[in-house]
Amino acid sequence: MTSIPTLTTARLTLRGLQAEDFGPVAEFYSSDRARFVGGPVSEDMAWRILAGEIGHWTLRGFGRWAAEETATGKLAGVIGPWFPQDWPEPEIGWDLMNGFEGLGYATEAARAALDYAFDTLGWRTAISLTAPGNTGSENVAKRLGAQRDGAFEHDRYGRMLVWRHSGPEARV
Amino acid sequence: MIAADIIKTPRLRLRRPEPSDLPAYAAYCASPRSAFVRGPFSPAESFDKFAAMLGHWQLRGFGRYTVTLQGRPIGHAGPLQTEEGNPPELTWTLWDGDAEGHGYATEAAKAVRDHFFDVLGWPLLVILVQPDNHGSMAIAERLGATLTTLPAPDWYPGCLTYHLTRGTM
Repeated sequence: MTSIPTLTTARLTLRGLQAEDFGPVAEFYSSDRARFVGGPVSEDMAWRILAGEIGHWTLRGFGRWAAEETATGKLAGVIGPWFPQDWPEPEIGWDLMNGFEGLGYATEAARAALDYAFDTLGWRTAISLTAPGNTGSENVAKRLGAQRDGAFEHDRYGRMLVWRHSGPEARV
Repeated sequence: MIAADIIKTPRLRLRRPEPSDLPAYAAYCASPRSAFVRGPFSPAESFDKFAAMLGHWQLRGFGRYTVTLQGRPIGHAGPLQTEEGNPPELTWTLWDGDAEGHGYATEAAKAVRDHFFDVLGWPLLVILVQPDNHGSMAIAERLGATLTTLPAPDWYPGCLTYHLTRGTM
């Protein structure tokens, strides 16, 4: 078991996912908004996905955080470094929970995750993957300064666009 | 409620799963042995499933154990509960065909049953078995489980449901 560090940004607290997060996670994964991340899926599958997010930390030593809206304590997103077995390379991933779109939270949390990946994990480069047609997510990638860098065909999830972030040398 | 990290039996040691178990688990998932649980699975699917097995422990305070024989992981056994309101499911699997036929699965499942019933006071475990999995049906009966007529859950179509209740073994 890996202990999950807590990070803070201006408006968010990035902490380990826990059982109490299942409500918003299940709501997101059962909704049409999950169509870009392999959903919608059953509640049973959503729970397995949540458990898998936590287990990823143990397997990789890093993973995605619960991005909690500090002012309200609500779960705004699941965001952070992510590298399942069949990913082309480690990525910074972001899923906003329902009702938290359009507030800049994905960008804010992903910036902190990029800093963590470069400064703490020692990554030399980082990508993010977006599903075709997910313009909201593409806009986050652009706001982060990422550039399109080809595409990736996933066995189960199909085609994904690759976005490459500026490396650590470009960040001061 | 926190389950024991380690359960010992005469021949086996059950411990919480560790990242080093992934290769043995993935080999099982890729083999025809996983057909009873909707396999075989790709290495990527095995990674996701194993990550969920690890995370289950943190979300619930209990989960499935890695069954080890002289330090070598040979399978998993323990309760699985993906939906809060449902009774946990007692699961067991030998990863390695060579480990079959020695009673290890029964020994591990009995030890798990005893820990959750006698130490933690759980009242009920369900056991889901495909009707052509005669090996697991025999183990369910050896554990003292009773076959019910309950319908199979959506995610595991066609399975039989056994109930294992405290105090009836």
